[in-house]
This record gives sequence, C-alpha cells and structure tokens, in this order.
Amino acid sequence: MATLVTAENIRGVYYTGARDVVAVNDVTITINEGEVLGLAGESGSGKTTLGSIISLIAKPPLHVEHGTLAIDDKVQQLGEYDKIPRSWRGAVVSMLPQGAMNSISPTKRVRQLVYDVMRSHDRKISKDEAMDRARDRITMLGLPPRVLDAYPHQLSGGMKQRTVTIISTLLNPRLLVADEPTSALDVSSQKVLIEMLQDMLDKRIMAGVIFITHDLPVLRTVATHIAVMYQGRVVEKGPTDIIVNHPQHPYTQALMSSVLVPEPKYSKMRIEGMRDFNRDDFEAEAVIHA
Amino acid sequence: MGLARYLGRKLVWTIIVFFVALLLNFLLPRLIPGNPVDVIVGTLARGGGASGADLEKIHAHYMVEFGLDKPLWQQFFIYCNNVLHGNLGTSFSQYPASVNSLIGQALPWSLALMIPAVLIGWIVGNILGAVAAYRGGWVDRGGFVGSLFLSSIPPFALGIILLFLIAVKMQILPIGGAYSFGLTPELTPAFFGDAITYWWLPFWSVVLVFFGGQAVGMRSMAIYELGSDYVNYNRGLGVRESYTVSYIFRNAMLPQITGLALAIAGIIAGSLITELVFSYPGLGSLLFAAIGSSDYPVIQAITLLITIAVVLANFAVDVLTGFIDPRIRASQTGER
Amino acid sequence: MKLRGMSPRFWVAVGIVGFVLIVGFIGPLVVSISPKDTIGGLYDAPHGFGNMILGTDNEGQSVIANLVYGTRTSLIVGFIAGVIGTFIGLLIGLVSGYRGGLTDDILSAIVNVGLAIPVIVVVILVSVSLPQRNLYTLALVIGFTAWFWLARAVRAQTTSVRTREHIDVAKLSGAGFWSILLRDILPYLLSYVVMAAILQISGAILFESTLSMLGLGPSNATSLGTMLYWAIAWGSIRTGAWWAFFPPTIMLTLIVFGLLLLQSSLNEVFNPRLRRGRAARKKAVAEGQTGVEVDQPIDLGEPEVVGAAGLLETPVSTHEEIR
Repeated sequence: MATLVTAENIRGVYYTGARDVVAVNDVTITINEGEVLGLAGESGSGKTTLGSIISLIAKPPLHVEHGTLAIDDKVQQLGEYDKIPRSWRGAVVSMLPQGAMNSISPTKRVRQLVYDVMRSHDRKISKDEAMDRARDRITMLGLPPRVLDAYPHQLSGGMKQRTVTIISTLLNPRLLVADEPTSALDVSSQKVLIEMLQDMLDKRIMAGVIFITHDLPVLRTVATHIAVMYQGRVVEKGPTDIIVNHPQHPYTQALMSSVLVPEPKYSKMRIEGMRDFNRDDFEAEAVIHA
Repeated sequence: MGLARYLGRKLVWTIIVFFVALLLNFLLPRLIPGNPVDVIVGTLARGGGASGADLEKIHAHYMVEFGLDKPLWQQFFIYCNNVLHGNLGTSFSQYPASVNSLIGQALPWSLALMIPAVLIGWIVGNILGAVAAYRGGWVDRGGFVGSLFLSSIPPFALGIILLFLIAVKMQILPIGGAYSFGLTPELTPAFFGDAITYWWLPFWSVVLVFFGGQAVGMRSMAIYELGSDYVNYNRGLGVRESYTVSYIFRNAMLPQITGLALAIAGIIAGSLITELVFSYPGLGSLLFAAIGSSDYPVIQAITLLITIAVVLANFAVDVLTGFIDPRIRASQTGER
Repeated sequence: MKLRGMSPRFWVAVGIVGFVLIVGFIGPLVVSISPKDTIGGLYDAPHGFGNMILGTDNEGQSVIANLVYGTRTSLIVGFIAGVIGTFIGLLIGLVSGYRGGLTDDILSAIVNVGLAIPVIVVVILVSVSLPQRNLYTLALVIGFTAWFWLARAVRAQTTSVRTREHIDVAKLSGAGFWSILLRDILPYLLSYVVMAAILQISGAILFESTLSMLGLGPSNATSLGTMLYWAIAWGSIRTGAWWAFFPPTIMLTLIVFGLLLLQSSLNEVFNPRLRRGRAARKKAVAEGQTGVEVDQPIDLGEPEVVGAAGLLETPVSTHEEIR
C-alpha cells in the first residue's frame, strides 16, 4: 500500500485572551492510498482542529506552530508564516465541512459555486465545460442533474450534504477531510452518504479520506483504520478491527465500551464502561498498530 | 410562479396601506373642533384685506370644496374623488392659488435634492462600508467612527454647520435660495450653472448623513457575512477571493435594500428640514410656511405626497427584493 | 457583562451622554435666570462669564439660559416618548408573538400598516390639529407613533423564545400568561430592549426637534428645536449670530451622537460576531470553540442600520434571514 499522506509533527494552538489552548499536540499520522482513516475522540480532543489544519484552512485564533504535510512527492510546511498555495486547497487536499447547510451561499445556485470552484483553479475553463463536467460527476454518483440549478433551500438536508460532498471532490483531490459529515443526518441519509463516499473511493475520485466523527458505530462501518485522539494526542491507531475489538490503550478501551448501541460483547458493560477506568491511566503511552 | 404571487400580495397590501393613509390624512385634521372654514375666513377678515362680499365668496367656495355641510363619510368620498383626479384643493393663505400650482413649483426642487442624494449616498455608502469591512485595520476603524459620527448628526444640523462655515464665513457658496435673484427658472445651461451653486450645500448636507448611515450598516453586514460558513468553505476549496466577495456582497446587500425602504421616510423628513435651513424653495419650505399660516389644504397635500412617495418606495423595494432574494419567492408564509 | 471589559467607544459614549444630562438637569440649577427674562437686545454678542456667556437671542433673552432649559425640555420629551414607545412596542410584540393565532394576526396587521405609513406624516397631521401643544402632549404623540418597528422585532424574538423548553415547563407548572411573559420570555429580550430603548429615546429627541423646527413644537416651553426655529426664522445664520444657532445645534448633535454611539457599543457586546480587533474576536471564537458556556440570550440576527436619517422612521432593519 503506497503512502498517500504523511502529516508530521503538527502542533496547533488557540491563542485566546486568557490562556493558550494546545489543541493538537505534536501529532503525526500517516494515511495510505485507498484508506479511510477515522478520527475518533470526544469533544475537545482536537480532531476537528487537526482536520482543519490538514485541510489547510487553519486561521487565527488557531495558530499552527509547526507541522509538515507530505502528499505524494509534495511537501508543504504548515506553520503560520509559511505560505500555503491557494491551488492546494480543493485540488490536493479538500474539506467537507460540518453542517453543509450553510456552506453554500443562500442566494446563489449550486452551479454558480461549481463554476467558481472550477475556474478558480483553471482560468481558461468555459462555463459549458464546467457544467458538463459537473453534470457527469453528479450523475455518476447517483444524484439528479437538476441539483445544479437549485438554490440551497430547495434541497433536503441529505441532498445538500451529498451535493457539498461532490463539490468538495470536483477537482479530484488526493485527500478528502470530512468533518462530521453524518452528524446532522438521519440514519438512512447517513447510509446513502457513506455509500457514496465508498463509491467515490472505488472510482478513484480521491485517494484517501480522513473521516472525523464522534459517532463510533458510523466509524466502524466506514473506516478502514481508526486513530483515537485524546487531549490533542493520538493515543492509538490501527486497523478498524483491532481498534474496535482489541483496543489496547486504556482510553480506547473506555471509548469503545461506552458505545450505547449494544453489541453482544458490550451489552453487559453499557455506560459502566467509562466509570471503570481511571483518567490517569489515559496518560499511558500511545499504541500504534502496524 | 412564486414571484407572481408574492408581487400580487405586495400590491394588494400597498393599496390597503395607501387607503388607510388616505383615511388618516383626511380624518386627522378634522379633529379640530369647530368649522375650520369659519376660522380661516375669520382670520382673513381680521387681516383686513377682503371686503364682506369677497369673504362671502371665499366662505362659500370652501364650504363647497370641503363639503362641510355634508356628512363625514360623504366628505371623505369627495376628498378621495378629488385626489384621484389630481385635484388637491385651493390654498387657504394664498387664495385663490391652487394647491397643485404651489406644489408644482416646489416639487422639482425637492426632487432635485433628494433623488441624487439617495442614489449617490446609497451606492457610495455601501461600497465604502464593504471595503472598510474587508480591509479591516485602521481604514476600517477610522472610517467607521467617522461614518458613525456623520450618520448621527441630524441632517439639518450638518446643514447649519456647513451653511455657516462655507457660506457665511468663507463665502464660497451662496447662503440661501435656489437661484440668483433676478433670474427666472428655465432649462438653459446658464441657469443650471447658477442653480447648481445653490444646490451644492443642501445636497451635501443630506447626502453625507445618509452616506454615513449606509456605510455603517453595510460594514456591519459585511463583517457578519465574513464570518459565515460559506466564506470559510469557499476558502477551503481554493476559490478566488474576488469570487467570494461577490457572494458576500450579494448577501450583505439584501438587508441594506430593505433598510433603504425603511430609511426613505427619514431621508424625506431630513431633506425637508434641510430645505428650511437653506431657504431652499422646495416642499419643506412650503410646508413650513403652510404650517405657519394654518394652510390646511397645502399641509394635507404635502403629507399625502410624502405618504405616496414612501408607500411607492416600499413597494419598489419589495419588488426588487423579490427579484434578488430567491428565498422570498420560495416561502409563501411569513411576513407580509 | 463586566464593566471593565467595555470598549473605549462605550466610555466615550457614556461621557457624552453624561455631559448632556448634566447640562440639561444641573444647568437650570446653575443658571440664575429664566429663559424668558429679557436681558439684552436683538442678538447681542456674547461677553463675560455670566448670563451673557452666549449672548442673547432674537427676543433679547439669554442664550445660555435657553440652552440649558431647552436641553432639559428636549431630554424630557425624548425620555417620556422613548419610554412610552418602548413600552407599547414591547407589550404588543410580546403578546402578539406569544399568543399567536388571531390575536397575532390582527396585531401584526396593525403593525404592518403602521410601519408602512410614514410616521412623520401622522405626527405632523396630529400636531397641526391639536388645539394647544405642550411638551407632554407632544411626547405622547411621538411615543404613540414610534413603536411599530419595535413591536415587530420583539414579536419575532418572542416567537423564537416561545419554542424553548423552559416555557413548556412554566406552562406545566401552571404559570399564568403574564407571568410567563414577564419572567420567562422578557429576560431573554432584555439586552435587545435596552438597546431599543436607547434608539427610541434618541429617535424621539430627533423627532421633537424636527417638529419644532417646522413650527410644531411645544408652545409654552423652549426646546433645542424651537431655539433653532427662531434662529432660522430671524435669519441669525445670515447675520452671523453664531451664538444663536450653534449651541443648540451642537447640543442636539451631541445627544443624538452620544446615544447612537452608546447603542452601537452595546450592540457589539451583545452580538459578539461584530467584534473587531484581535482580542475581541479571539474571545468570541474561543467562547464558541473551546466549549466555554456563554449564556447567549438570543441571536440578535443581523445588526441594525443606524443613523439619524434612519431614526426618523425605523431604526432597525427587521429583515428576517433564514439562517
């Protein structure tokens, strides 16, 4: 499996008036081609922050003190004084933000955004060409072409999320960072979205996905590998099966056993899971599975 | 389809509002106890300019015109009928001059003042507000306080200050009136050139205040929009800044257009008062004189005109918003 | 809301408003003569530090005396009218928003008509028809015609608070209609009401001065507007008698500017997204991002179009965005 992305030594700090919050504490992760890396953890663990840093959209009050992103053979420094080329955003790494509801300007049609995204990266592209490409992509992924002509308020929540997913991947980015894409959806829409993501991976529209969520059952369905974050660090990383069924780090164990959708194994433990563990244990050494 | 229904509803609503305004315009002055015509004729008689026979004629004229011998609702119909035929009555104090002629003389001056002021103030104010929001930093801070100050000055206050400083002290521009003494209004370039010097100060008084308000409002809107999700998303996809700016502008403009409708009445009021300061012979000065001489027909006619202007302006803004904001067309429920 | 963290703009505003209040209410205690006393001739120039410090007006009366009493009159009219307007707008908005149904439909229709008809027209017509005009009737008239925009805004916010859970709890525990309005809904609107009241007062002051300049001012008292009326009528500007028109102009500008500045600085406190400056913006984002609980009363929607021109009609853009 070829290495797709290596994010090294990333340190992200929020400078607030009162105190500085270290949200991402010297994190290094690797993603291979064809992988969906699930980024799991409780609120405040730093997963969203890490996602925004990797998708190159960090901005004050979030400061990236240091970090490197290596994709294929390109290397980019992520520090706040390093210039991140606009051309990388959307085309090399792309983001799928939380809450697609407001991500499209309410007064513009979808096709306008599509056109603007495309011509921002290719000045010479004509409107017709852009529309054709968009239409092909949309139908390929199972959405009706009328989506292009719609205003955001004319689409349902699930449709909007899938539309935004397509827009985020129009330029065939190498890596897609998806932040809680399923959190605002009902269960059936979640399923459709996940299937679409997997379809896109199969069709090689993107080569890898970082899937950030706190929803562990979803993670189990969609992720090939999982990295668990706690207080700004990755405490355990490995293939989904191992993380879910044989977690080794105390925090991962606590997390997995707090899943409220009972699996036979955990149905006896239920919410008790977290109580059995001492927070101090979580300071244990990180465990990275091959 | 949604748009047609929306416009239809707005039209019906506008007509209803206009009718209510007409009713108020008719009813309120009639709160005066007693017969107004007697009062007026009495004042004229005391002024000692008319003979007994003349006063009888005047009295009879007004009685017929107002139909004061008929029941109230009939008077209202007479009034409506007159208005719809464009007959606004006869002036009290400048009898027998018709109100139409008085207004006809004053209206062009007021329009010459207000229309350019609204257009320029709105356009320039919004652009500068947006730029200030976008740039941030000192440009924004200084510009904001300056605009806030400008927008907070009552327009006539600014007029007074400008008049004193520029016309009286520095004597660069004329003190009052609309054109030089001895000239008669005509559509020649020469007259134009002369009239412009008189127009300059009143225009700036009105425009600056309005401009300040627009800049402040637009800046706030633009800042609000700059923090929006779609702006972040656009950035995340590497969309060029100039494209995103057009999204921001489009969204920030909507409340500004709505705000324009609400501000129009204020602009009109401010402009009228500014006319007083500069002795500018528009509707403001006319109203002032009419109030001073209890010339009810003229007062009523001017308030009616103001109402028409505001109601029409609101309707125009509703139409414009319907075209610009796609959400309006979609939603059938909600505010009228 | 800590006083320490208030922006410099806030303190400047407080200073200006404070100054005007002192002039208006302490002034009459300091100035020894009545504004009606004739102490000189037509437009005597200012000299000395006593009652002639600002000269005389067109009736030979002391300008400084007229100024302080006039300020007081304008403030009183503005305050009374502003309070009345705020009260009515609040009441109608709350009832309309909470009750819903037919009550809401009727009240909203009235409000919408009221919003569409230019207030200045109604006020002029009423003032012209009044047999006599004293400052209290004037205040009443202004107050009773200025509340429409507030009713609409309050109604919108009430309808959104109405759906919150604590209202259900209150209803279940048997709280009465008015009790719920006062104790469960109103507190959430309080910050907005404070700002609206400030706008109402400054708008009322402007209104009164506009009316006075047209000649419709109080007939038995001096106000800043009536001072200007006489100043214009007697051509003081042309003759250069600056002491007759400058002081009232400056005073009026200070009051309106001070109040609007106050409202704008308070607006930034209650609506963190508007804050500029690194410290302020970090604070706003940090509150949002690090999960610190900030008790946000209500999303105030987008900010208002503020300005003296706008005050004479409706200060607040009540366009409701579907965000």
